Amino acid sequence: MTVTAKTPPRRDTRIGANAVRTGIVLAVTFALIATGAGYWQVVEAQKLSTAADNPAVIAIARRTLRGTIVDRNGTWLARSVKDANGEAQRQYRDRSLSGVLGYASARYGTAGLERAYNSQLLGIGDADPVHQLTAKFDPKPVKPLTLELALDLRLQKAAVAGLGKDTGAVVMLDPATGEILALASTPTYDEGAVADPATADDAFAALQANPNSPLLPRATQGRYVPGSVFKIVTAIAGLASGAITGNTRFPQQAGAESKGLLVDGFRITDGHHPATAGIALDLVGATEVSCNIWYALAGLAIGGGRLVEEAAKLGFGASIPFDLPTAASRLNDGTGSAPGGFADDVELANAAFGQGGTFVTPLQMALVAAAVANDGVLMRPHLVTALTGTAGGARTISPETWNRVLTGAQADLLKAAMLQAVEGDLGRLYTAGAAVPGIPTAGKSGTAQVVGSPDPHSWFIGFAPVDHPKVVIAVLVANGGHGAERAAPLAGALMAKYFALYGKP
Amino acid sequence: MTAGTGAAATVAPFLRLRFRPRPRNTELLLLIVGSLTLLMGAVSLGATERYLAAQAKGVRLAALGFGPADPFGIGLYLGALFAAHAVLVLAGRRLDQILLPAAGLLGGIGLLLMQRLPQDLVSQQLGGLELGLGRLQLLWLLVAVTVITVLAVAVRGDRWLRSYKYTWAAAGIVLLLLTFVFGSDTGGARLSLTVGPFSGQPSELLKVILVVFLAGYLSENRSLLAEESLRLGPLRFPPLPYLAPMGAMWAIALGVVIVQRDLGAALLFFAVFLALLYTATGRASYAGWGIVLFLAGSWLLYNLFPHVRVRVDNWIDPFRDPSGAGFQALQALYAVGRGGILGVGLGNGLPTIGGHMPVPAVHTDYPLAALGEELGLVGLLAILGLYLVVVQRGLRIAASLHDDFRALLAAGMSLVIGIQACIITAGDLKLIPLTGITMPFVSYGGSSLLANAIAVGLLLALSDRGPQPPPPPRRRSRLFWLGRGVGRSGRRSPAVTP
Repeated sequence: MTVTAKTPPRRDTRIGANAVRTGIVLAVTFALIATGAGYWQVVEAQKLSTAADNPAVIAIARRTLRGTIVDRNGTWLARSVKDANGEAQRQYRDRSLSGVLGYASARYGTAGLERAYNSQLLGIGDADPVHQLTAKFDPKPVKPLTLELALDLRLQKAAVAGLGKDTGAVVMLDPATGEILALASTPTYDEGAVADPATADDAFAALQANPNSPLLPRATQGRYVPGSVFKIVTAIAGLASGAITGNTRFPQQAGAESKGLLVDGFRITDGHHPATAGIALDLVGATEVSCNIWYALAGLAIGGGRLVEEAAKLGFGASIPFDLPTAASRLNDGTGSAPGGFADDVELANAAFGQGGTFVTPLQMALVAAAVANDGVLMRPHLVTALTGTAGGARTISPETWNRVLTGAQADLLKAAMLQAVEGDLGRLYTAGAAVPGIPTAGKSGTAQVVGSPDPHSWFIGFAPVDHPKVVIAVLVANGGHGAERAAPLAGALMAKYFALYGKP
Repeated sequence: MTAGTGAAATVAPFLRLRFRPRPRNTELLLLIVGSLTLLMGAVSLGATERYLAAQAKGVRLAALGFGPADPFGIGLYLGALFAAHAVLVLAGRRLDQILLPAAGLLGGIGLLLMQRLPQDLVSQQLGGLELGLGRLQLLWLLVAVTVITVLAVAVRGDRWLRSYKYTWAAAGIVLLLLTFVFGSDTGGARLSLTVGPFSGQPSELLKVILVVFLAGYLSENRSLLAEESLRLGPLRFPPLPYLAPMGAMWAIALGVVIVQRDLGAALLFFAVFLALLYTATGRASYAGWGIVLFLAGSWLLYNLFPHVRVRVDNWIDPFRDPSGAGFQALQALYAVGRGGILGVGLGNGLPTIGGHMPVPAVHTDYPLAALGEELGLVGLLAILGLYLVVVQRGLRIAASLHDDFRALLAAGMSLVIGIQACIITAGDLKLIPLTGITMPFVSYGGSSLLANAIAVGLLLALSDRGPQPPPPPRRRSRLFWLGRGVGRSGRRSPAVTP
């Protein structure tokens, strides 16, 4: 029997054509998904597979001896040893380092430098796709690196001892390189107790329940009202933008001293009236006596927009690029409609002398002093100077210019003002104890009024020697009283300790 | 051509069995290649498991051996695939030869994954036997292969689907209502219905019913839908009476989300509806309007329902709550990232955190995370490619069919598989917010395997190219004809008649 080859009734072919087009759309979708898979598995693979929370990394951490962390003199700060059972045990030399090193715990993950350099300390830092391919055939793919810090354990210990029972922070750095010499945050905690599986649960629970939050590294992540130390930021912004010079005087300042300056109905007052009444101050004079009225007028002359813009060059408004996570310092909460995010001139005038909505980290204020000390050139701050070892990723970290903020002449002018604030006849009254005996010291104290507390924050930022500064310091003692009461003497003592260790210039 | 040979048995109006063996060599070859792939996977998994077990005991193994992990499971599954092949050969229908090996390979990859995961993720008592994850998946795979084979061999007519589309639709809605009233909650969504010892996800079967209904409705009305349209200035709308089903679909999809909290099924239903509407009418503008409706609906849901908002927020930033709501998505990404290009090898991935699985829904929602880690980018590309093969074969079958209903049915069945694969793989890779639907053929779950088996079985049945046309004349005589200027249907010399 034969089938007659009769064609079926002509069908509308469009369903077939449409189906093909739908198929093409679906094929493109699949291609996009494949691209997405490639993105995660090739481009992002290294970041994902070395993330500190990644369970595979935690598994590696459990059976790996983490790399050692040493200070600038080669003293070990954190190291791993095998205990009697062959389990890796993390040891920490001193609890003064808790805000810097953090901890590496099998139960509670990692914090601080242990977290930031987790993959390098485990030796999996170079897990790029190509290395991952070859690592499959490598019998010992894990080669921990040693972390070398710029930190000096002796200064770190002295800083923590100086803060004592107070809550606060100390930052010391070398202005020419940006190397961090001390980064103290109090209260401290015992990192070893968190790292030790036997005590981890109790230790961590106690830390979390502690109302003083020892887990918060205040030097990098605590934000405080700066008070008068912020005047240096206003001065830098004024000089850099050209709004003020060394000879700028405000005629209305002298007259307003006794009754206070009225800005849109808000009265700004000063405490130095008996000593300087009737004199229109210049930059050096206003800095020496910490004149709120002069700086409020300077802030208004600079304007909110330019003040925020120049402060951003010092690091304000964003996280500071650093080895550890940092909180962003700010001049206001950014919700105002006036230039720079200020609500009005009252807020701007208050911010110009460090009150209002201004919140800063101690590290940020150390950088402000460092910019002046290093002739207007701000170096990028860094803790880690080298990663050493046999694995990939070993390198040294060289000093790096971050921003040029002031010209040399402008920086010299501010140095002179800050020198006067520490060594001048009137300035000495506000910064008692900051001067290092025998070394010309520059600086600025601050007494920051805090809403809801009778005790102001005690601040000091400064450097020494004034001509070729070797060391910059920022000290914050939360609710520590006037700047001259706690911060200034501690800063002077720590700088003296620095020169005792490294020799007088 | 002879039509009287072979036994013909009428089981039901739509079931007619014939036995007339016909070799299916392409299918056999592809099945052998697929089986070797799966065997290699099983051997590699077996070696890894022995190595890890020895390492846990602190023993150093001299040799890892070549024994596959769970030889019984993989053997039974491969046996079932070849048995299905044998039945198709015996049935003698001229069916597609690529769908079964492609779907079978995907199913096998899923089986290897389920054998490798902790077996107590799922367990069920069946006739006094305690079955774990791997065994249950094996059971359902065997059922799925059987369903594919039976449908492929037995389905010939389409009246039972075509004429009763509203009955099917009504059945689907009843199923939905039953789930709503009697269903139980899993993971915050009311998805499963329990009957006796079995519990299933009706939305999986619903998607098949939806395709049947849409194919019936659209094939009847497609010319009207395609040719008439309302114009409002530059805008074109479908004619109003025909807009109603579109609105109804939109409402049903929204209803599924609101009532069942099943974002994935709603997205799938709506996407399949739009794709089929376009396939039937060729009007891209309808799909465009559908997408506008979709965006409006999404915006509404995002603002009204916290569980939708949580999904979307987690998608935008899983690091916001890394140990809470964003935990699973983040762990899945870590797993995919660990895989890299070549993967860590079957059985080597997914380290546990404190004895817990980092990705708890790895067997249902996140199989791609485990496969991406253990098989790497290469493996993921292969899996995506397999889905594309299934979709491409299905749409090719659709394009070859002369009947509107059958063409739309075939297109719908392949699109429902393809779109579901897109939604879940894109969700797993954080390209879109995650919606909890299964990965076709791979994920654990009876309903899912069954529904996709029905889709593949119907596709196979629809691919029947009918009785074989007469064999072509020999080449020599063809040349001879051309010389004579006689066409194909011309007279033939007795010498070339078989």
